[in-house]
Amino acid sequence: MNKEIVAFCCEHSAYPAADLAGKQRLCYPQNLRIIRVPCAGRIDAIHILKAFEKGAAAVLVLGCEDGACHHITGNTRAKERVKYSEMLLKEVGIDNRPVGMFNLAPNEPHKFIRVLNEMNKRIKESREAK
Amino acid sequence: METKIGVFICNCGGSIKNINFDAAREKVAKIPSVTCVNLSSNLCLGEGKEKMLSYIKEENIERVVVAACSPELKEHIFRQVLEGAGLNGHFFSMANIREQCSWAHEGDVTVKAVELIKMAVNRIRLLQPVEKKELSVNKEVLVVGGGFPAISSALQFSRIGLRTTLLEKKPNLGGKLREIEGFYSLETSSMIGAVEEDENIEILTSTEVVGVEGKIGDFTVRIRKGAEEILRNFGAIVFATGYETEVSPQDFQLKLGINIISQERLAQMLQASSVERKPESVGFIYDVSDENSRLPTLATLNNALTLKERWGSEVYVFCKNVKVDSEGVEKLYREVREHGVMFLKFDEKPRISAEDGRVKIEAKDILLGEDVTLTCDLLVAEEKLVPAEETEALSTLLNIRTDSRGFYQDENVHLYPVSSERGGIFFIGGCRSDLDFQRALVDVSSVVMGVYKLLSPGKILVEAERVKVDRQKCRTCLTCIRVCPHSAIQLVRVDNEKEVAEISDLACDGCGICAAICPAKAINFEGYSDEQIVAQIEAIGAS
Amino acid sequence: METRDVLVIGAGIAGLASALGLANGGFSVYLIEKEAAVGGYAASFCCKATDVCSKCSVCVAPDKIKEAVIHPQITLLTNSTIKKLSGELGDFRVEIIQQPRYIDVERCIACGLCTEVCPTEPKAVYPPSAEATPFSYILDEGLCLRFKGEDCKLCRESCPTKAIEFELKSKKQELSVGAIIVATGFEVFDAREKGSLGYGRCPNVLTGLDLERIFNREGYLKLPTNGNEPKKIAFVQCVGSRDENHGYCSQICCKYAMRLAGLVKYKDADAEVTIFYIDLQTAGKGFAQFYEEYKESIRFVQGVPVEISQTSSGELEVRYEDISQGKVCREIFDLVTLSVGISPRHDSWNLAKILGINLADQGFFDIKDSLGPNETNVDGVFLAGTCQGPKDIPDSIAHGMSAASKAIQVLSEFASRRRGNQRGH
Repeated sequence: MNKEIVAFCCEHSAYPAADLAGKQRLCYPQNLRIIRVPCAGRIDAIHILKAFEKGAAAVLVLGCEDGACHHITGNTRAKERVKYSEMLLKEVGIDNRPVGMFNLAPNEPHKFIRVLNEMNKRIKESREAK
Repeated sequence: METKIGVFICNCGGSIKNINFDAAREKVAKIPSVTCVNLSSNLCLGEGKEKMLSYIKEENIERVVVAACSPELKEHIFRQVLEGAGLNGHFFSMANIREQCSWAHEGDVTVKAVELIKMAVNRIRLLQPVEKKELSVNKEVLVVGGGFPAISSALQFSRIGLRTTLLEKKPNLGGKLREIEGFYSLETSSMIGAVEEDENIEILTSTEVVGVEGKIGDFTVRIRKGAEEILRNFGAIVFATGYETEVSPQDFQLKLGINIISQERLAQMLQASSVERKPESVGFIYDVSDENSRLPTLATLNNALTLKERWGSEVYVFCKNVKVDSEGVEKLYREVREHGVMFLKFDEKPRISAEDGRVKIEAKDILLGEDVTLTCDLLVAEEKLVPAEETEALSTLLNIRTDSRGFYQDENVHLYPVSSERGGIFFIGGCRSDLDFQRALVDVSSVVMGVYKLLSPGKILVEAERVKVDRQKCRTCLTCIRVCPHSAIQLVRVDNEKEVAEISDLACDGCGICAAICPAKAINFEGYSDEQIVAQIEAIGAS
Repeated sequence: METRDVLVIGAGIAGLASALGLANGGFSVYLIEKEAAVGGYAASFCCKATDVCSKCSVCVAPDKIKEAVIHPQITLLTNSTIKKLSGELGDFRVEIIQQPRYIDVERCIACGLCTEVCPTEPKAVYPPSAEATPFSYILDEGLCLRFKGEDCKLCRESCPTKAIEFELKSKKQELSVGAIIVATGFEVFDAREKGSLGYGRCPNVLTGLDLERIFNREGYLKLPTNGNEPKKIAFVQCVGSRDENHGYCSQICCKYAMRLAGLVKYKDADAEVTIFYIDLQTAGKGFAQFYEEYKESIRFVQGVPVEISQTSSGELEVRYEDISQGKVCREIFDLVTLSVGISPRHDSWNLAKILGINLADQGFFDIKDSLGPNETNVDGVFLAGTCQGPKDIPDSIAHGMSAASKAIQVLSEFASRRRGNQRGH
């Protein structure tokens, strides 16, 4: 990998939102790779770090809106893990690769697109900063 | 032994134009463990599924990847095909090459499609079988509370053949029934009589719940009566513990007295056969400190109407907004106004003082646009609905969150109307929200529906050990037990020495939070294990 | 006589809740829906989260739709209505008419080849809206050349799964069920009836429903006239509620207006939002924590506008009586949203006649007495959702579950009475 965004998508929110984006033919760059998970809370720092180890340009964790998690606390846990991962990445000197947690509902394809555009922008900025 | 993976690629009737299927087929055939690749145009239809079935049998395929549309609506169809071929339905994965690939991008997407298939193959190579098992459940229901919702639900549970224990803290059943029975043509004594006579209902009064262990279908409840404590077992628990009313809340600084009374006191006075002196003018005030005033609006409207009819007094209602968002309330509001009750709406808190044994109210009336001073013989004070005293303690005991106002049941929309984050534990009535009568009735029958679907078959089909703790690795740190949002993990003793965590198949909802947080990596989530997730990452960009 | 079969009329959120409750409880459900897609209004509303969920409950609809559509105990019949009813509790005979869809839902794979070849403009064959379930293409008789006498076969010839068939007539089906749940939903109040408020005349006067659909389609609030994002927005409450013709509160409008206003402010902190109201309805679970914020960010004016007109520059002039000041004011806005209420369906009287149930004074279906929120005057026929009266999404789901519960209770009693009788012989 060197330009891909690895997105861990919760099956209750982000995954159907991505499907809806496709159904509405809202186009986005091809560098996205979605990994479906039962809850954003399943994601641990190891998954995020592995993605970067294999060369991902950015990592996204997408879960339900704050307060609407199907598993009540999953999205809050995921947010904490992403912060923790950012800290670890800094420690090992990989702090110029964007990683982020975002929240959305299953019927928000436009938000899905906005998040992707934001990530691609961050990738470009961090590469230009080098 | 190498497993045999079959990949079925669908071009969706030939409509997918931006994938080179021949090139894709070639590349996919080279992936290790893939023993055959089949191209189809209508996999999800009858003829496509039949072809898939015969292919699986002919080629002795052990695991299947389907590259087609989204798994959201078709996954279950293909799992059935696998089961029809004698395979474990779990040995299946879909690569979404339509909604999340072909439809989402401009230009040729063959490279991405092949990678998505590789990701699915990598994952499926590592899958372990998951069996389904039927676990029997206790069909008895515990209803905690003694008011209208508790009594109603017990009666309805009995109607559908579920034995119910009605458990009330106080020495008598009834709760707030006697307060409201007049408005809704209810008879407290006949309702209580009905539960007492019902063979399916056991009544325990002066009894409290002091502990709840276990999971849906199998709760062990510690019950205390006086000095005695016993353990009982139930399949589901319904809490209908009600609410309390704070008359004249702190922020309004009104002191109750002869001329400033509560709605309950007014109702008693109205019900009395005679009264010393009929007040010539009565004022009601509400919606000042607490704008969740659905029930106070109802009490005010009902009492004001009765007041007019019984005593013929002048009636004034001071409020900010009249809460009419319940069935029949707008109609009642109009009726009350037609009877001559005057509504004065303010924006700022009115000033209330005593004058010559009467109550003086000074407010800026919005509708008139000027200051108004009224003196009443009697003022009915504002009431605020607050959670019952034991709510905080009980929610800690149950490991269940309360909402932003301290009432039961987190406001998470997926829990509406009556569920909690613990499967099998429900909350109905005033203990969870400000419900008018019709909403309370609906709460009662919805919970009966919820419990019926869980318990009536007597057994629940689960995926056995989908999420499992490795007892050798478990360090008994209790982290998983603390983080599980569904309270599905308990400590069990093994070998007389060690205690380890055990996940209940009945209560587990498959989120994986425990698997992520376990510091010893002792929890395996089949289908989403660390290896299975990382294997997908490794397939990206490998070409 | 099969008493474990139930008919649910209407597949909006309440009907879905009823059907799922019954199906998960082991009953067989016939779920009939008049439209081509399930989900009703709830499926067309937008998510109103800011940086936290605003508890509007719209996102529970996709889950329920998915579960119902694949549930083995639920038989879904779209484009279907009930024509006749006979029999009684435990043994109802219903006649269902299914309108021809011409495109078989079971065989359409949504590939889009038919639309590509369709010669008409606008296309007579087109995809459903993105969130529609079943996600099956639609053939519009009104636009199709065949129905104008021409022998066009292009779409059928292009279809790779042979899903298109023209020689179809409406299909009649007889079902035998033990109980019936009516969940036919509501109609949105037609704001054109209040001509002075400008709906239909002024393009930037929209309804709350229009706003939801714009957010879903575009992802942001796009003005119909110039596509810009509005800066000064007004919401007018109680349009079609609490007036001479509607003696009830629609229960949803104050909350949806405030949540939409919150969403607008979240996306654009500079936008100014004003809500004109009579009595602000803020009670109920999941709202108190937002109300304090709304009081800070939204301007509330007590008093409902009497006239809305368009200026020569395309802006909207709202004339209202400011009650606290006691005078008539005029104000300019970019966008006015009429918070339209829930009205009973115009065709309710027809269904009431078929089923033998009554309409209540406001036009919704009547319940037998105040102690039974779902029971009609006909034993075995129950009401679920807004067809009985205004409700928000959580209340509709609860009411649907309650209807299913009552159906189960009544059928259980019926079955044991029957067993008792049989044993008696």
